[in-house]
Amino acid sequence: MNMPLTTLWVVPLLGAAVCALLGARAKIGALIFSMIFFGAASMVAWISHATPGLSVLNEIGPVWAYGISYRLSADSLSLGLILLTAFLNLICVAASWELKVSAGYWACFMALASALTGVFLARDLFFFYVFWEATLIPMFFIIGLWGSSNRMHAAVKFFLFTFSGSVLMLLALLALVSAYHRVTGIWTWDLALLDASTLGAAAPLVFWGLVLGFAVKIPMFPLHTWLPDAHTEAPAAGSVMLAGVMLKMGVYGLLRIALPLFPSLSYDALPILGGLAAFSTIYGALCAMAQTDLKRMIAYSSIAHLGFCLLGVLSRTSQGLTGGTLQLVNHGLTTGALFLLVGFLYERAHKRGLSDFGDLASRAPYLAFFFGFSTLASIGLPGLNGFVGEFMSLSGALSVLPILAFAGVLGVTLAAAYALPAFQAVFWAPAGPDSVSAKVTDLDRRERAVLWVLCGLMLWIGLAPKPWLAWFEPAIRGLVR
Amino acid sequence: MTPAQVPLAAWLLYAAPVTAILFGFFVMRRVKPEWTHLPILVSCMIVTASAFWLAADVYTGHSFDLNLFRWAAAGTFGVDFGLRVDGPGVAVLAMVSFVGSLIHLYAAGYMKGDPGFSRFFLVFHLFFLAMIGLLTANNYVQLYLFWELVGVASYLLVGFWFHKESARKAALKAFMTNRVGDFGLLLAVLLIVLQFKVTHFHLLYLKAASGATFDLLPLIGLCLVWAACAKSAQFPLYFWLPDAMEGPTPTSALMHAATMVTAGVFLLVRSWPLISLVEGLPHLVAWIGGITALGAAIIAGTKKDLKRILAYSTVSHLGLMMLALGLDQVGVALFHLIVHGFFKAALFLCAGNIAHALHQPTANVDDVGGLQKSMRLTYLSFVLAALSLAGVFPFGGFFSKDAILDAAWHHGGPLAALGMLVAAGSAFYIFRMLFLTFYGARPEQKQAPHAHEAEPILGIPVLFLALGAALAGLLKEPIQRFVVIGMRGLPSGLPELNLVLNLPGEPLLPHFNWVVADLGTLMVALGAFAAWRLTMSDPGFDWRWRGGFAESMFESDFGYKIFVDWLVRCVSWIARFTGRVLDKAWWDGLIESTNDIVRGAGAALASSAQGRVNDYLWWMVAGTALLLGKVLR
Repeated sequence: MNMPLTTLWVVPLLGAAVCALLGARAKIGALIFSMIFFGAASMVAWISHATPGLSVLNEIGPVWAYGISYRLSADSLSLGLILLTAFLNLICVAASWELKVSAGYWACFMALASALTGVFLARDLFFFYVFWEATLIPMFFIIGLWGSSNRMHAAVKFFLFTFSGSVLMLLALLALVSAYHRVTGIWTWDLALLDASTLGAAAPLVFWGLVLGFAVKIPMFPLHTWLPDAHTEAPAAGSVMLAGVMLKMGVYGLLRIALPLFPSLSYDALPILGGLAAFSTIYGALCAMAQTDLKRMIAYSSIAHLGFCLLGVLSRTSQGLTGGTLQLVNHGLTTGALFLLVGFLYERAHKRGLSDFGDLASRAPYLAFFFGFSTLASIGLPGLNGFVGEFMSLSGALSVLPILAFAGVLGVTLAAAYALPAFQAVFWAPAGPDSVSAKVTDLDRRERAVLWVLCGLMLWIGLAPKPWLAWFEPAIRGLVR
Repeated sequence: MTPAQVPLAAWLLYAAPVTAILFGFFVMRRVKPEWTHLPILVSCMIVTASAFWLAADVYTGHSFDLNLFRWAAAGTFGVDFGLRVDGPGVAVLAMVSFVGSLIHLYAAGYMKGDPGFSRFFLVFHLFFLAMIGLLTANNYVQLYLFWELVGVASYLLVGFWFHKESARKAALKAFMTNRVGDFGLLLAVLLIVLQFKVTHFHLLYLKAASGATFDLLPLIGLCLVWAACAKSAQFPLYFWLPDAMEGPTPTSALMHAATMVTAGVFLLVRSWPLISLVEGLPHLVAWIGGITALGAAIIAGTKKDLKRILAYSTVSHLGLMMLALGLDQVGVALFHLIVHGFFKAALFLCAGNIAHALHQPTANVDDVGGLQKSMRLTYLSFVLAALSLAGVFPFGGFFSKDAILDAAWHHGGPLAALGMLVAAGSAFYIFRMLFLTFYGARPEQKQAPHAHEAEPILGIPVLFLALGAALAGLLKEPIQRFVVIGMRGLPSGLPELNLVLNLPGEPLLPHFNWVVADLGTLMVALGAFAAWRLTMSDPGFDWRWRGGFAESMFESDFGYKIFVDWLVRCVSWIARFTGRVLDKAWWDGLIESTNDIVRGAGAALASSAQGRVNDYLWWMVAGTALLLGKVLR
C-alpha cells in the first residue's frame, strides 16, 4: 500500500462503520480497530523515523475546483500527535470496556480518532477545516448521549462555543485563499503555497481571526468557559479524548498555520498572547482551587497546563517550542490518567465531589497510588513528565519576556495548592457521614493495567526526556526565531 | 575522567537504594510486607560504606565531577545528569548516610506492627535516596530534581498517619511552604540558564571567578536564599517545621538531622561562590540566620511538647549555620551542620523512646518526669547529646558553636551579641528539657505508670548517635580539609576561587580564641543555671507562669503565625472569588446569557414582521431608495 497517510485516517473511520454494524458486539470491533490504528500509526512513525530522508511523508491527490486538493503530510509533530491520538483511543476503549453502552458509543470514538488524525495530516486548508469541524460531531454525541446529568446543556454549549471559533477561522482561511487568488491568479488551499503577504493591510485581521479560532479550542483565557462544563458532563473516556487530543488541536493550529504564515505578526502579538497564556496558568490554578467537583478541578487545571504549552510555543525558542510541544503529550497522559481515575470513581459511586469521599487510601490503595502519582506528575514534580515540559517552556519564555516566566513560575507554585488538598480530601481525610466511600472498590486488573501503562510513560518521559524532545525537534526547527 | 573510571562506590550510592525500593515495592510489599525493611537496611549499609569509601577517596585528593548523560536537550540548550563527588558533598554525605542508616535501624523497631510498615519504609528510603542525589548532583537542574523529591517524600512521611487531621494539615503546610520556597529555586535555576547558559556548579564557579559582572546575579542570589529559607526553615518561612513533627518520630529525626532541612544550607554552600559575589547578600543571610536563631531559641524555651522543643531547636541551629555562612565561614557552617546532625538525631530518637515507653505518639513535659531512673540508656544518650547541643567543652557542639561565635565575634557589632545570646538560649531550653524530663517528678506531672527502657533496637542506635555527637569535635580538622578541597574547585584546582571565597591558604576555621571560648562557656553556664533555677529550685514554675499574655505570644510565635494564617486565608479567598464569582457567576454567566439575549432580540424584532404586506412594501421601498441613492451618487 503506498498511501500510508490515507490509511491512518481511514482505518479508524472503517472501525467506526464496523462498530455501527456490529451492534451488541461493537466493543470488540472497537478494540480490534483501535489496535490496528495504533499499530499502523506506530509503524508509519517508525518508518519515517528510521528511514533517512523520509522525516516528512507526503501524499498528494487530485486538484478540484477552486484549487482544493487532497494533500496530506506528516512530520514528527503530526506523527507524534497521531500516535497520542491512537494511544489514548486504545486507552479509552480499554477503560470503557465494562460500560453498558450502545454501539454508537464505540463508533463515535473511532470516528473521533479518524477526524483528529485527519486534522493532523491535512495540508490543504479546505480539508483541514473539514476534519476540524468533523471532530465536533462525534464529541457532541459523546457528551450529549453518554454524559452525566446536565449533558445536553454542556454538549450544546461545547458545540456552539467551539463552532463560533471555527467560523472565525473559516472566514480567515477564506480571506487568505481569495487574497492569494486576487494577487497571483491561482486558486489554492495548499498551506505550503499560501502567502500572508498577499493579504496586505488585512493581514492583522486574518491573523487574529485564526488566533481566536485556535484560542477557543486551546482554550485560552477568557475563551475557556465551555471547557469546565464539557469536561464535567462528558463520560470519562470523552474527557480523556477532549483534554488529551482535542485541546491540542488549538496549539497545533498555531504551530502549523498561524506562526509559519504570520511570523512577524505573531511576534508582535507575543505580549498579548503570552500575557494571556501566563495569566491562564495563574487563573486556571486559582479557579481550580475553588472547585468542589473533581472533574471541574481537573478541567481548570487543564487551562493552566495549556498555558505552559503556549508560553513555550509562543517564545519561539528551541527549548520553548520543544518543551511546549512535549507538554502537549504530557498533558494528554497526565490529565488523561486523572480523568480516567475520576471516571472509575464515578462508575462506582456516582459522585465526584471532593467531599463525597474520604479514607480511600485505606479502602482502595491502588486507586490512591495511581491518583497520587498522576497528581504529582500534574503539579510538575521533577522526574515525572510534567516538569520537563514546564521547565523548558518557562526557560524559553524567560529568555523572551521575563515577566511571563515569573507569572508561569507562580502558576507552578499554585498547582500544588489545588491538587494536594483535593488528593487529601478524597484519599486521606476520614470518610464523613454522607460519604460514598463504602461503594468504592479498588481497581481491578484491567483498570490497573491501563494505569500502569500511563504512569510508566509519565515516569519514562520524566526520567529520560531527551529522545522525546528529539522526536519533536525537526518539526519545530523552522519555527525557531 | 570517563564513566568507566567512576569508583564502584559512587554507582552504589544510587544503585543500592533504587534496587531496594523497587524490590521492596514490587516484591516484598506483596509477598512479605513485614520484611520490607530488610533489603532497605542492606541498602543503608552499602550506602554508608560507599559514602565513607568516597570520603576517603576525596580526602586523599581524588574528587571528581563528571557528566554521565544528557538528560534533556533542545537546540543549544542542554541539561546533563552527572555526579559531583567533592569535599562539601562527601562530608555531608558521610554524616547523612551514617546518621540516616542508624535512624533506619531505629525505625525498624519503632514502626514494628504499624499497618503501614511497608509503605513507611519505602517512602523513608526514597527520602534518603533523594538526599543522596541532592548531595552528589553536579548541576542546578539535577539538584532541583532531588530537592523536590525530598519535599514530596517529606510530605508523604509527615502525613503518614493521615487519619489524624493534624498530620494532614502539617503535611500540606510543609509542602506548600516548601513550594513557596521552590518558587525561588525554580526561578533561580531558570535565571541561571538565562544568564550563564550552563547549570553545572563547576562551570558556574569558573564563570564567577572570571571577574566579569553579571546583571542577574543579585536576583539569582536572592532567589536562592529565599529557597534555602523555606527548606532550612528560616525566618520568614520557618513555620512549617515545628508542625512537621506530626510524622512518626524516625521521620522527624531524619528530617531534622540529615535529609531535609540541611538541604537548604547545603544549597547555599554549593551556591556560595555565586552568592558571595553579590554585595550585601551575605550580610542578609547572616542577619536572617541570627534573628531566626535567637527567636527560635526563645520559643523553644517555652514549649511543652518534647518534639516541638527539639523542632524549634533545629530552627535555631539552622539559623546558626546561616549566620556562619553569612559571615563567609563556609567550613564552619558545614562543621556545625554535621555535628548538629548527630546530636539532633540522638535527641529526637530519645524523645521517641520516651513516647514509646509511654505508649503515646508524642510526649509532653506534663506527661513525664524522673525518667532518669527507669530509662538509663536513654538518659545517658540524652545527656551526651544535650551537652553537645549546649556547647559544653569537650563535647562536639562546643567546637562547632565556638567557631561560629568566633566568626561573629570577629565580625563584631550586634551579630556578635546575637551569637552569645543564642548560646545562652540553647543551653536554657535543652537543660530545661533535660531537668523536666529526667529529674523530678513534679506534682504537676502525670506519673508515668510503667515507663521502661526501650528495646535494644531502639536504644543502641541512639547511643551510637549520642557518642558521635560527643566526639564530633574530632572531625574539625578533616572537615576543614574537605571544605578546602571542595571549594578549591575540581579536579584541576582553581586557585582563583580562593580569592572569590575569601579563603586563606590552609586554615579555614578560625583560630581558637580564648576570649570567645570563655565567654561562650559563661553564656552556656548562665543558660543552664537559669534552667536549673526555674525547674529544679522552683519545680512548679513551668506550670505557674502559663496562661497569660506571654503564653499567647509564644504560642503564636509573637503573632507571626496569625499573620501567616491571614495570608493563607487571603489567597484562598482570592481563589474562591476568582473561581466561583468572577469566572462562574460573572463571566460564564454573561456568556450563557447570550442565549437569552438572542431570544430577546428575536422577540423584539418579531413585532416588525407580523405578515402585513403593507409594512413589507414600505420596507422594500425604503431599502431600494437607499441602495439607489448609494449607487447613483
